[in-house]
Amino acid sequence: MAALGYIEILDAKGNVSERHGVVALPLNLGRAYTNQIILNDPYVCPLHLAIALDEQGRLIARDLDSINGLREGGAEARVATLELHSGTQFRIGHTLLRYCSIDHPLAPTAIDRSEKASRLASPYTSIGVGLLVLAMFCLDSYLSSIERMKFVDIVSDPLPMISIVLGWAGLWALASRIVVSGFHFPQHLTIAGTAIVANTSLRILSEWLEFFFPALPVLWSTALFGSGLILAALVYGHLGFASPLRRRSRLWTALVISGAMVGMNAITDYAARGKFSTVMDYNGILKPVDASFLPATSVEQFFADSQKLKTELDSLAHKAKSAQP
Amino acid sequence: MKLINYIAALVLFLTLAPVRNSLLAQPVRATTPEIFKQYSEHVVKIEVVETGSAAKASLGTGFFADGLGRIVTNYHVISKLIHSPERYRIEITDVAGRTGAASVLGVDVVYDLAVLRAERRPKGFLALDAKPIEQGTRLYSLGHPRDLGLTIVEGTHNGLLQHTLYPKIHFTGSLNPGMSGGPTLTQAGKVVGINVATEGNQISFLVPAERATALLDRTAKVEKPAAASFLAEVGQQILTNQTRYLAGMFEPNTPRVALGPYDLPTKPTEFFHCWADAVRRKELPYASVSHDCSTDDYIFVSSEQSSGIVRFFHQLLSTEELHPLRFFTLYSGQFQAGNAAMFGNEEEVTPFRCETRNVSAATGKLKTVLCARQYLKLPGLYDAVFKAATLGSRNAGLVTTLSLSGVSFDNVQSVSRRYLENIKWRR
Repeated sequence: MAALGYIEILDAKGNVSERHGVVALPLNLGRAYTNQIILNDPYVCPLHLAIALDEQGRLIARDLDSINGLREGGAEARVATLELHSGTQFRIGHTLLRYCSIDHPLAPTAIDRSEKASRLASPYTSIGVGLLVLAMFCLDSYLSSIERMKFVDIVSDPLPMISIVLGWAGLWALASRIVVSGFHFPQHLTIAGTAIVANTSLRILSEWLEFFFPALPVLWSTALFGSGLILAALVYGHLGFASPLRRRSRLWTALVISGAMVGMNAITDYAARGKFSTVMDYNGILKPVDASFLPATSVEQFFADSQKLKTELDSLAHKAKSAQP
Repeated sequence: MKLINYIAALVLFLTLAPVRNSLLAQPVRATTPEIFKQYSEHVVKIEVVETGSAAKASLGTGFFADGLGRIVTNYHVISKLIHSPERYRIEITDVAGRTGAASVLGVDVVYDLAVLRAERRPKGFLALDAKPIEQGTRLYSLGHPRDLGLTIVEGTHNGLLQHTLYPKIHFTGSLNPGMSGGPTLTQAGKVVGINVATEGNQISFLVPAERATALLDRTAKVEKPAAASFLAEVGQQILTNQTRYLAGMFEPNTPRVALGPYDLPTKPTEFFHCWADAVRRKELPYASVSHDCSTDDYIFVSSEQSSGIVRFFHQLLSTEELHPLRFFTLYSGQFQAGNAAMFGNEEEVTPFRCETRNVSAATGKLKTVLCARQYLKLPGLYDAVFKAATLGSRNAGLVTTLSLSGVSFDNVQSVSRRYLENIKWRR
């Protein structure tokens, strides 16, 4: 016999965890094995709820004098009876249920985006990204050294960093194996590698920007926000393969983690700035460019702007003096 | 026989003549024990005592300069009291071991002198004498080296130091810590200088007596100034003094030195000392040539602060084999090196604040940085570092640094600006 509708047991997030067809009425729910729908919930009575049609043909759920009662949806108040329409949610004990008729409207079919994910899963992608990271590290070690270097030095310098990246991807793969039963190592490696490439590119870009426009605090702001975004993307990407979280939850988790890191960084930075030090904090990045491309201020302007230093120092001195006994 | 007697008399006369002449020239030739015995009672040990713990915070020497109980010593002996009058007091002890209190009447921070007044009247005093003295004259210095008791040190006068900002007598004798502020006397007991500094190996320096006379004259009518007013006076003396010595520094007529493609300032005045050095080693893929100038003289402000030191340093880096990006790693590193001041604590200075720009100077473009910090107890005085790096070349660069200590902000700006205008490219 075809079902009239379905009683669905929902989990805490509202997802369906069990579905029972309603083939005959009345229908009883409870912990006892005599019920048509048996609930494994200690707060539910052995015989808790009956669902039946009334004289007008309405579908009614009725509390069978249970200890913990019947509630509609998220409401607190107990009800003795509840009329069920398609989509009505109700609660007995700690169990959330929903009634759906067979003609209950459905959400549109989701488009499968796993093709993209499979490209990410391809070992060729991982190898490509891995080689890119290696090349970037090698170039960085070559450019940041001012001594004569042999090829073997250039290649061996970044090896510790490479092993850290592999270890990082490995830990995520282990987490994936535990949580979602699959290692997804190439995916994790690709994600970590991409984040490193993005971060290095951002650093180089901000160094050049700060060299060209020293009055702008580019390095400081990119360190704070750019790296924060990359960190969020990294966590979001890893969680995609290491957790069953939905896209929205992953996004929030990633943003919260990255926000916390950025916030801690900003606080440390602020605290360090307030602390006394004899170090002159300036950015002395120099780059080999043709002088004609370089935007520059006049000598007059430089010394006129330096008046701001005096104002700042005067206020620092004033603050320091008022803090001293 | 007559002739023999005559010759004998002539020989005797000639032999005795020098003795007679010297006896006429120096009728009194006091020995060192006599000098010590005669003058030591006018010399006192000066201790700056922390009021809370009654522990001694600094030690020096001083001497009575008149019958009213005025004592001459060094400013640096009592500088702690000037900076924190509420925390310290002065205690003096004479050679007989009698102690007493003293208060400050006036200071001359530029020449490192102070005049105190003892509470009790002295039995006698030492006279100051500003008359020029011949090089080689024997002198006697009195003081309390390392608190070992009053000591007399013999030495010689070797004239005034050449090329110094503040005149000092070069005394060849061993001055030691604790003797600061003590008198250096002639055999006749006249004070020609006040012990102030030593560079070891018998190289010592004295403040000429006329500076002490000037300070004594200036404070002749002073009764008992408020302790708090001295800091303002110290600040004012430093400001007035620096206006004098910084005024013409780095004007367009400053001597030049060629460093690679650059034409740079060197030895702006006689009181600068300059050195040059070059690093060209086979194992290094670059070369470095440096030129360093600084003033030797400085004004002692406190144990962690000094004023008046001007130092500048040019460093030319060049390479024929490093890739421009690699060379600029080195160049940036050198531009950012040495970015910490040696001294400074939270009670005396603010942290540094810096301004960085790309500047278009008359002959080329430079990256310039100006960092400054303010003195907290001497308002209006700043330490500053001005740095510039030339831009545009792919395999050579010049980092030049000018450091100024304890100067007004106007002087920071004007001296740095004149310095920058002196950095030129050779055409």
